[in-house]
Amino acid sequence: MDTASFEFVTFGLAVVLFSNFSRSHVWRSFVLMAATILFLGLLAHDPIVFLPLAGFLLLGYGGLVLLERGWSRSMVWSILAVISVYIWLKKYTFLPDGLFIHSPYFTLGLSYILFRVLHLLIEAGGNSNRRRISLGPYLLYTLNFTTLVSGPIQFYDEFAGDQFAEQPIALGPRVIGLQLERIVRGFFKVNVLGMLLQTVQADALARITQPSPLFPKLFAAFQLVVVPPFFIYNNFSGYIDIVIALARLMRVRLPENFDRPFSATSFLDFWNRWHITLSTWLKTYVYNPLLMVLMRRISSVSLQPLLGVFCFFVTFFLVGVWHGRTSEFIVFGVLLGAGVSMNKLWQVWLARAIGRKGYRELTKNPLYCAFGRGLTFSWFALTDFWFWADWKQIDRVFTSIASVHWLGVWLAVWFSATLVLAAWEWLRAALLSIETSDGPVFTSRYARAVYATALGLAAFVMVVLLSQPVPDVVYKAF
Amino acid sequence: MTRSSANESGGVTEAKLPGRDWILLPMISLLTICILAGSTELIARRMFRVSNTGMRECLRPYDPWIGTLGVPNATCSEKRAESPIVVDYKFDSCGHRAGMECGPKPPGTYRIVLIGSSIAFGSGVPREMTFAALLPEELSQRTGRRVELYNEGLGFGSTPEIIAHNFDAVLSEDPDLILWILGPIDFMAPPPVAHGSGLPGAAKDGFMAAGGGEGRFAKVWRHLKEAIATRSLPLRVWNTWDDTRTSIMLQHLMYRDQSQYVNSYLKRGYTAGFLSADPSVQWQTNLRQFDMSAGDLEGRAKAAHIPMAVALVPNRAQAIMLSTGKWPNGYDPYEIGNELHQIIASHGGTPIDILSDFRGVPNPEQDYFLVDGHPNADGHAIIAEVLAKELTSGTIPALKALTPPQTVVEGHR
Repeated sequence: MDTASFEFVTFGLAVVLFSNFSRSHVWRSFVLMAATILFLGLLAHDPIVFLPLAGFLLLGYGGLVLLERGWSRSMVWSILAVISVYIWLKKYTFLPDGLFIHSPYFTLGLSYILFRVLHLLIEAGGNSNRRRISLGPYLLYTLNFTTLVSGPIQFYDEFAGDQFAEQPIALGPRVIGLQLERIVRGFFKVNVLGMLLQTVQADALARITQPSPLFPKLFAAFQLVVVPPFFIYNNFSGYIDIVIALARLMRVRLPENFDRPFSATSFLDFWNRWHITLSTWLKTYVYNPLLMVLMRRISSVSLQPLLGVFCFFVTFFLVGVWHGRTSEFIVFGVLLGAGVSMNKLWQVWLARAIGRKGYRELTKNPLYCAFGRGLTFSWFALTDFWFWADWKQIDRVFTSIASVHWLGVWLAVWFSATLVLAAWEWLRAALLSIETSDGPVFTSRYARAVYATALGLAAFVMVVLLSQPVPDVVYKAF
Repeated sequence: MTRSSANESGGVTEAKLPGRDWILLPMISLLTICILAGSTELIARRMFRVSNTGMRECLRPYDPWIGTLGVPNATCSEKRAESPIVVDYKFDSCGHRAGMECGPKPPGTYRIVLIGSSIAFGSGVPREMTFAALLPEELSQRTGRRVELYNEGLGFGSTPEIIAHNFDAVLSEDPDLILWILGPIDFMAPPPVAHGSGLPGAAKDGFMAAGGGEGRFAKVWRHLKEAIATRSLPLRVWNTWDDTRTSIMLQHLMYRDQSQYVNSYLKRGYTAGFLSADPSVQWQTNLRQFDMSAGDLEGRAKAAHIPMAVALVPNRAQAIMLSTGKWPNGYDPYEIGNELHQIIASHGGTPIDILSDFRGVPNPEQDYFLVDGHPNADGHAIIAEVLAKELTSGTIPALKALTPPQTVVEGHR
């Protein structure tokens, strides 16, 4: 049920049906709460396991109440307490084992709940005129089953604007059709594409460590670099497609989390398109405040661009560290931080070297964009090793072929990504340029009906008839 | 596209859908399904051809007591979907695919009579490439004796009960050793007899029967009527899907990979239950039933003073688990072998463990037909080699090797 499975989609559609029995926000909120309780009940049957989560939520709510009553000085302490309890409950490996609760308890979605709770605390602490949030809406916002497992991370005002609106947003045949098509697309991405890519990845991992001639090993290495980014993308964005569509059918608009990330021509651009709600949250609550503080303290004009570089590093280091409890994720964070900060540094240096106008023109050059896209993909693929593998696997993979061969593999990945992604961009633009008076032919509802049916049929065959195992949603673990 | 769909869904009111679209859009969907399903099946039929005639013409009608014997002296050819070659099935005057004539054994010859189901029969593999054909050569070489093997393997759901019914014929062949080869499927309850087919219903690991002489439309109509009458429509729909070449093609593509196949196989519930470390109640019942049949067979063999050796050939998923040494929690590919060992030994038979030998077999997934699940020619070569190794290791004193057995199994392909 906590994956993008057939059962989850069926459950979601049943909730959609009940939710639309009335347009009243009271009814819709009641259905959402009941569905969320049922959803949690289906994930764990023993109520005791929810106690730590309940404690965490009450801690957050307590902090919120204090802030809403004007205790603005409690903001920092509330935030620190919430983060500390989160680290404790998630059992971060740097803490001594004796500190942890050793009986099983429920932590699914805790990372995403953390962001929502921190968002409420920060907003309440920074604005004394805000409307108070009672316990019901607080729980609906933090536990909403559509965003519980893997996000997206929605801000409260956006959620409340739709969920508690007297006049809910429209839901007619066009919207229903679009959302159903999106559910099918998401289901296909997770259960067919994701499953196939996961298979290729597992197969390549097995092959690279087996004794075999060099060429098959090089090919396995190439696959291990190229496949995981596409697997993670399909797995995560497919799940997000499903929950966004389900929420929309319940008359709530969730924020988009992906915007064709592999079209990004730089690593900074990539993070505007990948897990958008996470990077937006961190830019809002980490990057911007940190930059402001540093700029106030360091007044040197020549150093100011470098402050941005530093703040990017810190922000994306936190992005990496947030993903897991082990030391692999520290390296993941360092690589993400290094990627964005080097990218920023390159922008600063280039703008100084060839001038802002020259830099702007260069970024429009198709060749520069194509190579930038390839390099962005390659760097992201490199960071992904510390995302999906543990130290043992990383060691086995990187020692399976010589360093010089790895260099060749990375160059091959860069050039292949450059060519393939450029070809895809060109093809996409060409297809979308075929238009009628209603817009591009390939995004018309007739074309959508064709490919939604095709994808739905393929997913049905794979999942129901061939009983292929459904991969877990990778991001639910965080 | 994602953005545009979000924007389209934003306002409080929404533009109406043209009336024609309520007809047009479902029609487009239906047409898409028809075109996709039809074209995929056509491609699959080109890629996975089958012969119009099959082994069925050489078989007597299925009898739940005596199983399916071949028509004496009949010869048939069959091209299966998964096999690249046409396989001949030639039966002797006793209705067995023995590769020799039934009758008294030549003087000075050590005769093994092979019993079992489809693996022993050599389903889908030319006779000269089956382990039944390769094993006597291998044993003769290792022991320096003249060894022959008479194959009474039957296939088509030959349960231990069916083998018991035919056991007098086995004893009448004057064997020096009875070799009983089992696959995991042989422990399952007898398959139901499919209406009108004359053969038991094909289990997932069993045979894919070739088409008969009945017209396609008539066949579909008959199946539909039967399904409605017996309220087994979902099962029939499932079987119909399983019989399509699209299903074979997709499974063929999906099941190439080791981990994917094992994960998928373990989802089969009851069928995969023998791999469980803690067998279900149903599987414990199966083992008890097998225990009774094995006791009966071994008792009769002992009374005739004929030693009986029993070996379990792993299926594809089990072989992968054995070879890689990896399996999910709650599973144990050795468990059924251990159970078999206890049962056979308790009745005074000789259990032959070849499961451990599969630890040394690299990429065993390539040694089976991917969908059908039977061992292919490579698989039979491995089975012959590991059986020869175990039989000559001293467990059967008359077959003790002249030189110590060597480690199995490299370079069999």
